[in-house]
Amino acid sequence: MVGWEFPPHHTGGLGVHSLELTRELTRMGHRVTFLTPFSGPFTPVEGVEFRFPGDAKAPGDRYPPAYWSGELSESPFRDAMDGYNAWVGGLSGLGPVDIVHVHDWFGTVGATALARRLGTPLVLTIHSTEYDRSLDHPWTRILEREQYGIDHAARVIAVSQHLRQQLIRRYHADPRRVRVIYNAVRPPDRLAALEEAKRTVLYLGRLAAMKGVDTFLRAAARVSPTAPDVLFVVAGDGPEYPRLLTLAAHLGVADHVLFLGHVTEEERAVLLASASVFVLPSVVEPFGIAALEAMAAGVPVIVSKTSGVAEIAHSLFAVDFWDVEEFASRIAELLNYPVLRHAMGDAGRWESLKEGWPERAIQTVGVYAEVLLGWLEGSDVPVPPSS
Amino acid sequence: MKIVLYLHLHQPWRLARFRYLDLGSGRPYFDEARNLELFRGIAERCYRPALDRLAQSLERYPEFRLSLSVTGTFVEQADAAAPDVLERLRRLVRTGRVSLVAETYYHSLAFLLPPPELAEEVAQHRRMVAERFGAAPRVLRMTELAYSDEIARFAESERFRGMLAEGWEGMLLGQPPTAVYCSASAPVVSLLLRHYPLSDDIGFRFSSRGWNEYPLTSEKYAGWLARTPGEVLGLFMDFETFGEHHRADTGILEFLGALPGAVARESNLSWATVDEAIDLPPKDALSAPTTVSWADQNRDLGAWLGNDLQRSAFEAAKKVGVLARRAGDAAILGDWRKLLTSDHFYYMYVSGHGADLGVHQYFSSYGSPYDAYANYMNALTDLRQRALARLR
Repeated sequence: MVGWEFPPHHTGGLGVHSLELTRELTRMGHRVTFLTPFSGPFTPVEGVEFRFPGDAKAPGDRYPPAYWSGELSESPFRDAMDGYNAWVGGLSGLGPVDIVHVHDWFGTVGATALARRLGTPLVLTIHSTEYDRSLDHPWTRILEREQYGIDHAARVIAVSQHLRQQLIRRYHADPRRVRVIYNAVRPPDRLAALEEAKRTVLYLGRLAAMKGVDTFLRAAARVSPTAPDVLFVVAGDGPEYPRLLTLAAHLGVADHVLFLGHVTEEERAVLLASASVFVLPSVVEPFGIAALEAMAAGVPVIVSKTSGVAEIAHSLFAVDFWDVEEFASRIAELLNYPVLRHAMGDAGRWESLKEGWPERAIQTVGVYAEVLLGWLEGSDVPVPPSS
Repeated sequence: MKIVLYLHLHQPWRLARFRYLDLGSGRPYFDEARNLELFRGIAERCYRPALDRLAQSLERYPEFRLSLSVTGTFVEQADAAAPDVLERLRRLVRTGRVSLVAETYYHSLAFLLPPPELAEEVAQHRRMVAERFGAAPRVLRMTELAYSDEIARFAESERFRGMLAEGWEGMLLGQPPTAVYCSASAPVVSLLLRHYPLSDDIGFRFSSRGWNEYPLTSEKYAGWLARTPGEVLGLFMDFETFGEHHRADTGILEFLGALPGAVARESNLSWATVDEAIDLPPKDALSAPTTVSWADQNRDLGAWLGNDLQRSAFEAAKKVGVLARRAGDAAILGDWRKLLTSDHFYYMYVSGHGADLGVHQYFSSYGSPYDAYANYMNALTDLRQRALARLR
């Protein structure tokens, strides 16, 4: 990938785009070598190798780093640009390359030469045009480089339909070769808020009416005035999501509640490991496996009395599902009495792991055996399996 | 052999559910209505019928002797819920053949607190016993029969002549429990020891159908007593054994009523009150560098202060006590002392010792030790805030 801006030093969308795109490409399993005219620093991305003129991998290269800052006068700028493009075009030691992808105009000449030498297609992403940047007073040298890239690229990616039309109209790009791929934003690091909150109270599950998340939010409203550093996390998605968001705002606790929506397995593990208290306030809960998971993670648990899990686990608080005051008090007690939190957490971990899936499987096989042997409780004569 | 039958009457002021959100609300910590309702039930099942049987035995067998202790929290509840129970007790004491034993008014763990808390609670109990029963106990027992060299020195300083303790092998070191001993740390204090196998035959095993001696008759039991070698045999247990821990349908009340007669038929057996028994010469001096109690398999304080919940609650109570004393407010100090009652800590016991678990769950008024702890800490935190407000 031939670019120029890359965080932490960047002036616009190009840098962000480069970071996010390379991050996602490497996540998908692709290997990316990022060529840039300056020597860093670069926000590290796992699986991305950064190359720049004069870097350690090619100490013998003839070209010094092209430029260091935006303070460029015309003459050294041209030299630097030409130098960079020559370096790109002649770069060796890249290993197998499938695609050369260049962004905007700065490296189009070098990227085209590199693609040609390696025998790979060239892809060009246009983030903006010189016409727009100059308010229709384009600088010819830049325009030329944009045109050069558009003419030589197998595909051109425009960041909007509007831009695509411009490329077709003003640069005579072949419409069949111009694709639109929009920019995006990355949600602010989703769990970063957890680091700021000293303590978290966690709900983890679907946002369905039977789950009683209303109670969780109402309890949060009762607890948060005395515990401003506590973050109430609602992790999960479901039909109640919009209504619960509104309810949180209505209760005045929007600042203390973090709605995460659907969470990945990885996020789930982090949430459980960092929670101070886990709450499952279900109106109806045949079992409530999430509570058992929280216990296994050593997190003290408050469930509604109707939860099936309360039948096998006793190192927890069981509360009537409608009793907001009691839920709130239990949360406050666990937050305020560390000895209680630790004692319940430790006992809960042991209790949740005392019997596992092997035991459940053995019990299930017991039922199979009952059926196959024709044994029925309270019956003296064998009962055929079909009855 | 002299049989010393000593029965302990106690009811704690159980806490109401006092939520964290109730802090500062002025709600009472103790659920008076519920406590009194429980008391009425126990009076009906246990106190009245058992006291009546004891009164009959005292009437019928002039040699029958008995010792009792009554906590202050018991008397407070009896006053409100069943004053006739107190009247029955007074009638027993008036026979002159029933000794009363001193202890802390609140059935508390005050022996673990800095002075003068223990002395004050024992003095309060002495005043109550003098006013309500016209008696002046010479023998002291600590909550849960706790005993140590240090507690013996306290008893000596308070001019008690004797103490009750568990007849535990760890303290007896091979000597029999069926004798009077004296304290190695306070020689004027005589020790009467609980014969725990024979006491627990009644206290724990009586109604247990899996026991190979079931059913236990008074004749069989008197026979065991008669064949036990020694001079003094202490049968110490909760009064609530008779009709409450073992319900009437187990035959426990008939057993209690028949026991004096069965003992009378054994020629080598007689009865003694604690006051009579401590005047026997001591067989040896016993030392107890650490505290011995009558509870659980380990006979230590593990049932009250064995886990983190219990210890942290007690430490918190200790600190609040300093504030409660300085606040100089009788209501605050009274509430604090009711929170020192050992039962509250017992409810925080977390299972782990198989044989004792059933006993603990039976006595708890909470769903779990965590409920007990959270509720206790809420009340204590509220009390702390009250004391601090008073100090400001």
